[in-house]
Amino acid sequence: MGKAKGRPIIKGMGFCASAIGANVCSVDVAEDESKILRLRPFHVDEGYDSEHFNTWKIEARGHTFEPGSKVVSGPLSYSYKKRVYSKNRILYPLKRVDWDPQGERNPQNRGKSKYVRISWDEATQIIAEEIKRVHDAYGPLSILVQGDGHGETKFVHGTHGCQTRMLGLVGDYTLQARQPDSWEGWYWGAKHIWGMDPLGQQNLQNNIIKDISENGDAVLFWGADPETTPWGWGGMMASRLCFWFSEIGVKQIHISPDVNYANAVHADKWIPVLPNTDAALQLAIAYTWLSEGTYDWDYLDSHAIGFDNFAYYVMGGEDGIPKTPKWAEQKCGVPSCTIKALARYWAKHAVSIAHCNGGSFIRSCFAHEPARLEAALLGMQGLGKPGANQFKFIEWSLFGMKSVTPLPPSVEIPSCSTAFRGRQYSVRPSIIPKTMIPQAITNPPVQWYGHIAAGLPREDQFVGPLTFPLEGKERIHMIWSDAPCWETCWNGGNEMQDALRHESIEFLLIQHPWMENDCLFADILLPINTKLEEEDIGTDSDNGMWNVIYYEQRAIEPLGESKSDLEAVEEVAKKLEQFGGIYEDLHSRMMDGGKTVADFIQAGFENTGAASAITFEEFKERQYYPFPTMQGWEDLPAGMIQFYEEPERYPLTTPSGKLEYYSTALADVFPDDEIRGPIPKWIEEGDGHEERIGSKRAVDYPFLIVSNHPRWRVHANLDDVTWLREIPTCKVTGPDGYAYEPLWINPLDAGKLGLKTGDVAKIYNERGGVLGGILVTERIMPGVVYQDHGARVDSIVTGVGGLDRGGANNLIAPSATTSKNAHGEVTSGFLVNVEKVDVFELAKQYPEAFERTYDPASGVVVDEFIVERG
Amino acid sequence: MSKMFVIDPMRCNGCYNCQIACKDEHCDNDWSPIALPQPDTGHFWIGVDEKVRGSVPKVKVSYIVKLCQHCENAPCMEVCPEAVYRRDDGLVIIDPAKAKGHRELAEACPYGAIFYNEGLDVAQKCTGCAHLLDDGWSVPRCVDACAHDAIRFGDEAEFADELAKAAYLMPDRAEKDKPRVVYLNLPRRFVAGMVRDLEADEVVIGATVTLENLATGEILTKETDDFGDFWFEQVDAASYNLYVEADGYLTRVVEVDEAEADVNVGTLDVFESNE
Repeated sequence: MGKAKGRPIIKGMGFCASAIGANVCSVDVAEDESKILRLRPFHVDEGYDSEHFNTWKIEARGHTFEPGSKVVSGPLSYSYKKRVYSKNRILYPLKRVDWDPQGERNPQNRGKSKYVRISWDEATQIIAEEIKRVHDAYGPLSILVQGDGHGETKFVHGTHGCQTRMLGLVGDYTLQARQPDSWEGWYWGAKHIWGMDPLGQQNLQNNIIKDISENGDAVLFWGADPETTPWGWGGMMASRLCFWFSEIGVKQIHISPDVNYANAVHADKWIPVLPNTDAALQLAIAYTWLSEGTYDWDYLDSHAIGFDNFAYYVMGGEDGIPKTPKWAEQKCGVPSCTIKALARYWAKHAVSIAHCNGGSFIRSCFAHEPARLEAALLGMQGLGKPGANQFKFIEWSLFGMKSVTPLPPSVEIPSCSTAFRGRQYSVRPSIIPKTMIPQAITNPPVQWYGHIAAGLPREDQFVGPLTFPLEGKERIHMIWSDAPCWETCWNGGNEMQDALRHESIEFLLIQHPWMENDCLFADILLPINTKLEEEDIGTDSDNGMWNVIYYEQRAIEPLGESKSDLEAVEEVAKKLEQFGGIYEDLHSRMMDGGKTVADFIQAGFENTGAASAITFEEFKERQYYPFPTMQGWEDLPAGMIQFYEEPERYPLTTPSGKLEYYSTALADVFPDDEIRGPIPKWIEEGDGHEERIGSKRAVDYPFLIVSNHPRWRVHANLDDVTWLREIPTCKVTGPDGYAYEPLWINPLDAGKLGLKTGDVAKIYNERGGVLGGILVTERIMPGVVYQDHGARVDSIVTGVGGLDRGGANNLIAPSATTSKNAHGEVTSGFLVNVEKVDVFELAKQYPEAFERTYDPASGVVVDEFIVERG
Repeated sequence: MSKMFVIDPMRCNGCYNCQIACKDEHCDNDWSPIALPQPDTGHFWIGVDEKVRGSVPKVKVSYIVKLCQHCENAPCMEVCPEAVYRRDDGLVIIDPAKAKGHRELAEACPYGAIFYNEGLDVAQKCTGCAHLLDDGWSVPRCVDACAHDAIRFGDEAEFADELAKAAYLMPDRAEKDKPRVVYLNLPRRFVAGMVRDLEADEVVIGATVTLENLATGEILTKETDDFGDFWFEQVDAASYNLYVEADGYLTRVVEVDEAEADVNVGTLDVFESNE
């Protein structure tokens, strides 16, 4: 082996976190172990003969589609070296200068004051004493664990929630609920029309790609971007499928406000629709079918209940408003003639709907309505008939479910859950919905329905009301977070900034590899290493080609004094042992009786079928084991075909077993809920939301914003990667040399506002403002601005009414949840105004913010926040 | 045998994996004697030109990957023969030791593929990852990182069937430079639009749309689809007359100037004839 090649190891470079691996990559390490040479595609055939694989093949219309052996991830994975060696790495434990656990804690200065370096010994001693103090003074449930969300995917080392393994042994904790954030509308809405636990999206997707290849005419990409969202979770197979559909002539119709990155290269047709107005478009399609008699009445008769109620509403019987294409045009911006054309095309062809989660379609106010209406429309055209299903370009083995892969499956979805040391439970006695954290901190008690955990059955939404704090218990006084991106990923981030400064929060502990976002509010920061610095095990069952389990060797030594998430918690556990009693022997107990990293890796391997094919030693030697294609995969029923053919024998999981155009359960449990009622509807306003172009607020805030999963980040991850930031759609350099988060605006609107590409503008509403670098582009429809979510916060003024330079638009998203009994996030499709700003004037007004140590290539650098380095 | 690159923008999804893989390989890695490290930002030994085409709602984005053309008659070699050499496999390499201070190399490349590294005081460009090819790799990093074979690298014989359709990035220079990078399906222009019966508020399906090239007289025809849409793809950058004809409607003619950019003619309303 030559010097250039280096020593190859394997790492999963997906970003789901929490033991759902993806994006298997080869990593070449310098022979002297000094550095990472490169990250590159994984060639699955390098260590196993071709006979091993039982390679699948889809043949349709004279063309052939095969998986191949090169597993290609996206640029987010291949640029990760820059994340490892980022200038923003936290390399030592840090303490906020004006936080004194023995004296003044100055919570009001969080987000403003700087940090000093301390030792691990000092840091963990303070942490242990604080945990003990909070336990004694308020009880264990006063510690809030924020240990969920996305990030590097590790098994033994976390990423998120390692502290739950320890706190669970010393009296429990309050858990920030693992919100069904990727699926909000489907979770809160679609489940009530078609069941489809656990997430509300079609959960029978086997062989849908084969089915569409053979029988499909078109796929509707309804707010879906297979060229963006899957990058963090599955790589390039989604993109390959779009090329495949083009090759065989399956029409790709995109319905969204923006020309997203898949639309840009694959679409046969783009139907621009205003953000979060899909429900109007959907109702007008239903109206067209009803008035023209072009829906499957026989199917509905045998497969649905309550259709008459729905039809009565659509045709105007209930409210005197027929949901005509002309009516819809005013709401959604799609010309009525195009609505009719789409409805008629759909009625005559085999049409499926594709998704990748996220975006306005599913993360806006009342998102349960478009999600339900989608199922309603699929039902009207015989859901499950050949070529007519809902499917996804992502999460092809979610929660280990064999039924959600639309491509030919491998024999096994390997689970290394026995190696996993991250978040232990998704439900605890004391929980807080993630969307309600700010209110729960500042103004308890708060109430809601359901346990709000991704993966719970439909009925759980009816449990409640639940309350925080539990009866007789104290409010939150300490937060321990390993997911410090709430303010740029959730609803109403400015409110969260205020909450993190609330006097009731006596101690805010954050562990993270990089100085970014919520980290700036911490009292103590623990330095965490990246997975390239750790030994672990991993799986990839989401590449659509081959499921793989792999041994992750350590690539390089940990940078600075960083430790893994697990190791950081271990250090705290060891310190807590000094207090004896419930803390006795805590470290050994949290490691399941003193087990080591190596023990957990082996346990992970032995939990999979690989262990019956090769020994653990062989596994470590060969570094991976690929699972062959399942025998007889061709015979798996395609999508919903069984329900289509025999609805009584293969019922849905709704109360009636059928499509419920009138949800009997919603009618029973929430009889007074007019926003999420039994029938899916167009909701203009309500439950704290006035976010329509017809709303009074639209006079002052006339634009709707669409905020998608970011193209060049995974939520808040990767914002400082220099190689990504120089891509034209990643950042826009303003006249002051600062790389601003792009803000897309149509030339018609730009002309009216005097904006040109490269200008800096502020988008704002009552909740505050964020800046953006203008891209004048035809990729966004008039009346709408587009800015990805998750940009790194760079506050000019913090808190409600504040201003952010980084373009973290979640700061100004609504705080209210989807609707009053549906507690999802609302982070896209809300009203803003747009205004050009003079950044030089702003710099004069806010010199402190504008003079932060800044590297245009990577953004604000960590040194800015540290006053002393040893 | 002499290698070549074949690039197909129709197979490109615009992911920038090629550009990122190049940086991953060459930034902060010293592959002397083939190449010194690439600066972290600002240099694109392989880069992507992206262009938004058309207008709402007929919009496409094209991505064209660009890199050193590894010319047989390389203009850089002419300017500075002592610092540039061609390998047996056809890859043109700037020798980093001999190219020290030769700023003129960066100016010499008509394809904009040579960059001047101010920090190391040396001209640099794509090496075809020769250091890896010499170490047993079969393709450069950019090719390995492409999921769609939008960039391929190999012996000329492998691409024999496709070369007849291939074009060059700068056709006017091709004969002189003899680039070893060829392109399939380079984007040209499109004309698109929608036909509507305004009074009926319906799209018109099956209307005949004719595109007449005013310079050459060439005629292209399409029928509007289920959405009333028509698309003429890969047409010349020229001036056209566009005719819309449908049974029972008055014929409409519009002028289309494609000289500067792709054109979405928008919604063309047609009106019933009285016949």
